[in-house]
Amino acid sequence: MAVKEQRTIDTGTGFRHPLYQVMLETPGLTVGTAVLDDLLSWGLTNSMWIFPMATSCCGIELMATAASRVDIDRMGVIVRATPRQADVMVVAGTITTKMAPRVLKLWEQMPEPKWCIAMGSCAISGDFYRNLYSVVPGIDTFLPVDVYVPGCPPNPEALMHGMLRLQEKVKRQKQGETVTPEPNPDLLKITRPSVPRLNDPTRSTIQTIEQERASTNPTADEACAPLVVAATEPPPNLAPLTAADFEGLLKELGVTTLPPDGPPIIPAAQHLELARRLKGLGYHLLVTIVASHWPAGKGRKGADAAEVEHYEVAYALRTVGQGSRVATWAVKVPVAEPVLTLSGVFAGADWQEREQYDLVGVKFAGHPDLRRLMLTENASIHPLRREFPADAAAAPWR
Amino acid sequence: MNEFVRGGLYGGGIIVGIMSSLLFVLWAERKMAARMQSRIGPNIIDPTGFLQAMSDVLKLLQKEDIIPEKADRALFNLAPVFGAAAALAVAAVVPFSASIVGADLDVGVLYLLAVGAVSVLPVFAAGWGSNNKFALLGAMRAIAQSVSYEVPLVLAALVPVMLAGSMKVSDIVAWQASHHWLVVWPFFLGVPAFVLFMLAMLAESNRIPFDIPEAESELVAGITTEYSGMKFGLFYMTEYLHTVIASAVAASLFLGGFDGPGGPGIWWMVIKTFVLVVAIYWLRWSLLRFRSDQLMALCWRWLVPSGVVLVVATALWVVFAA
Amino acid sequence: MTQLTVSARPRPNPYLPIDSLDPEAELMLLHFGPQHPSTHGVFRMDLYLDGEIIVKAVPYVGYLHRAVEKLCEKLTYVQQTPIVDKNDYVAPMTNEQALVMVFEAMLKLEVPRRARWMRSLFAELQRIASHLLAIGTFSLDLGGALGGGSTAFIYCFRERELILDLFEDVTGSRFHYNTHTIGGNRHDLPVGWGAKVKAALELIESRMPEFAALTIENHLFQQRTKGVGVLEGALALELGITGANLRASGVDHDLRRDAPYSAYDEVKVKVATASGGDCYARSIVRVEEVKESIRLCRALLDGMPEGPINSGKPVKLPVQTKIPVGQTYVGIETPRGELGTWVIADGTQNPYRLKIRPPSLHALAALPYILPGQTVSDAVAILGSLDPIMGEVDR
Repeated sequence: MAVKEQRTIDTGTGFRHPLYQVMLETPGLTVGTAVLDDLLSWGLTNSMWIFPMATSCCGIELMATAASRVDIDRMGVIVRATPRQADVMVVAGTITTKMAPRVLKLWEQMPEPKWCIAMGSCAISGDFYRNLYSVVPGIDTFLPVDVYVPGCPPNPEALMHGMLRLQEKVKRQKQGETVTPEPNPDLLKITRPSVPRLNDPTRSTIQTIEQERASTNPTADEACAPLVVAATEPPPNLAPLTAADFEGLLKELGVTTLPPDGPPIIPAAQHLELARRLKGLGYHLLVTIVASHWPAGKGRKGADAAEVEHYEVAYALRTVGQGSRVATWAVKVPVAEPVLTLSGVFAGADWQEREQYDLVGVKFAGHPDLRRLMLTENASIHPLRREFPADAAAAPWR
Repeated sequence: MNEFVRGGLYGGGIIVGIMSSLLFVLWAERKMAARMQSRIGPNIIDPTGFLQAMSDVLKLLQKEDIIPEKADRALFNLAPVFGAAAALAVAAVVPFSASIVGADLDVGVLYLLAVGAVSVLPVFAAGWGSNNKFALLGAMRAIAQSVSYEVPLVLAALVPVMLAGSMKVSDIVAWQASHHWLVVWPFFLGVPAFVLFMLAMLAESNRIPFDIPEAESELVAGITTEYSGMKFGLFYMTEYLHTVIASAVAASLFLGGFDGPGGPGIWWMVIKTFVLVVAIYWLRWSLLRFRSDQLMALCWRWLVPSGVVLVVATALWVVFAA
Repeated sequence: MTQLTVSARPRPNPYLPIDSLDPEAELMLLHFGPQHPSTHGVFRMDLYLDGEIIVKAVPYVGYLHRAVEKLCEKLTYVQQTPIVDKNDYVAPMTNEQALVMVFEAMLKLEVPRRARWMRSLFAELQRIASHLLAIGTFSLDLGGALGGGSTAFIYCFRERELILDLFEDVTGSRFHYNTHTIGGNRHDLPVGWGAKVKAALELIESRMPEFAALTIENHLFQQRTKGVGVLEGALALELGITGANLRASGVDHDLRRDAPYSAYDEVKVKVATASGGDCYARSIVRVEEVKESIRLCRALLDGMPEGPINSGKPVKLPVQTKIPVGQTYVGIETPRGELGTWVIADGTQNPYRLKIRPPSLHALAALPYILPGQTVSDAVAILGSLDPIMGEVDR
């Protein structure tokens, strides 16, 4: 009992219920508070509701923890979808710079008292993505983490263990045995991502975002006009082209030499024509679009120092059904020039071209909606260009 | 004894009884759900997990109470309290035994339908007051649903009223005691009316498969999205109150209330209510949910017409056969 | 029951600005995600709602963009298998396979027969696990975390654990196996593993009816999914949608049969297709594929050849594997569709450019076309039925 009377109540700035505060300040109620404290911490520790900040692989293991083999409900844990009703935020998965402000916002929406578990190496340190341009090197750069559960991903049992450790920690905190440690001085040196607050005038509201979009979008022109078509049955399967046929088709379009180290290079003006012809010949499935950046002096086999800086955009189509074949071709343009968009022929080229524009920087003429796909809208980098470093220096907020 | 004092005492007793039974219901549901999903359910807090609900309440009491900056403070704060009060008020006219009844009104059935209909207002207040789009969508759904399902609920409740010739709930129970339970004879009226009543009650109290106002997978947490701490706790409790009281009402109107083999008594009421509660939770943990337009279609295309047919049939039965 | 959708309707134009759809500014803009219980990861849609009906949907991806392609440019060829494991984190086995197959094609390596059979066996087991998770999370979307949906979900997870156990026996890991290497496999099958697989398959097969009763045979499930989110075959092809989503739209296309790789030239695959292209069709195709995969696993186990599991090419330092100059694309059929890798090699130890073709990214591109006209509840169902995995969408 003596120990209990001597206990120091932690002096953190965390939230405390008003009733509890009154009891603390009333003389003679110290013993009462000690008993009440135990009772309250019993309530807190045995009913920790999870807010699943599940982004990637660890999210699946988080789900597996709730499933029947481990059954985290055994310790009274249920998963709440809204941060208002949760006590523990389990950050399960990689947090990117695009997501980090949202995570922080959700964390701030959770009511006190609240805790945070970093589940998996990505959440702890960024794992092997930590030096890349888009990944936050550990969530403790912007969130106070209580328990780290290592693993890639941690087993469900490991997460369960983490929850038990958190229970211990909460009990000890309540009994004043642990205090909040001083923040690591190294951590303070890290520039944190700036999160615009609600009343911040610099915060872009929905209206301004809409306006920006409206101003940057090209008007719908011929390229996207044929998109509104009536629904049809899937096209019949045609026999795929033989290699000789494909060569003949290329010859018609003026390509005479087939390079040994990649797809044939089509004159930029004719590649839409080739796509239409191939589609008519049974290549109905858009497989992929790959853009690559070649600095001056680099290129395919036989490129000499006089080669200008250019993009090479490669396309792949596929026939459907038995004996499926892939047809590929490429277009080569200097960096300043755009490539004609394929989105008028294949609707799916829309997102593919947006991705290549975003990551490599190649522009597509006539694209109906050429916005960034992966990075944030105000990003200024094209990370898959050759000169862009694969290391931390370029991470926008470090 | 003064009528008011008696009503107050019994009413207080009933409220305490129902509230404490919630602890048991919460435990039973959680363990049952766990068993259905081949899990164990709470067993670390104590071997049976019975204390889990108490721990949850203690936790919720300690949580910070967040009121969003742009919320309508009055509506936001009043909604959970009124929700729980409206749910409890229905219990006033339910006879738990011959003597344990809060207020045995002459228009008991009318009262419980009317008060039951009020319970949608707190839901709307919560949805509107939260200033949250998910909550607003939930409230919109809840209102459309409650207003629609009010009709089959009234039609189903008319069947025992017409047969017993009284709107007093204790009279209906007494009629069943002297004749048969309504689901036993005339079963071709009683059983459909009972099923209709339970379906409409499930919809009124937003339980699966009619729980679209708080569909977690679509609307995050529906009307309760912005609520934290004990205000959320009250909503959570209200859900369970609705279930328990709806089951008690259905037991009184269709299953003979506190009457049963071996003489009447409160234990019959308790047993019947819990059987119905278990049935509701069984449905809950095995069914998916409807879409809102399908819900409306079910109500207006099937339940309302069949309710009308049922009422006409009951009238004919009362006039010609009984 | 009324169905809000009409199957044959003109394809909506996703590029119409919202002002032209809504000149009075009466629509409600609902931000759906990036953190939402039913977005299957971090995915955001801006839904413009007229009551509950979606008028326009604008999807946003990239919240899990982990720069895998940049990372692969930095790493040597053999270091890349554990990286791509994390892309489609529900089916890591097939991710690795797609990557090492393109390297093998460029190096013109012959993979031993046993290794090819093992790869197919792993891929089929992974397909069962992945489809179980897909159907489980789909019912979670339909039925909610506190209801019947979670029951179906947990049943699926219970069965899925059996397969993860099998993989753990072989590779030592529940996830992220890193068992494929250039030229073969790293871990041989343990003694007595085949019997364990057969027992697990037996158990899964015996539980399929119970599980079907909760999902595809359930009346409520059918009501929520039939006629919802219809995706026509022609649009699906144009968007590059593959896998179960394409086959549910009536297009008979499966790379396992149409461009056989690994052991599929010897063990023939029966391809399940469905017409309709709605959420229900996508679900039944997945259930049928689980049954077919169980059959394939048994066939692969019975005929598993003896022999080496690696090409055994003498390489002093595997890290120094160099790939000659060239560009190659190889695509394989993963549980979600055609996962391909396009590699541009410049003769060094690192790829010059490596592009992964994620089937889920193409599937999500369908949302602006099929969401308008549906309700918010349907949006959840449609997204769940497309079964996207954000890890491979964003990479």
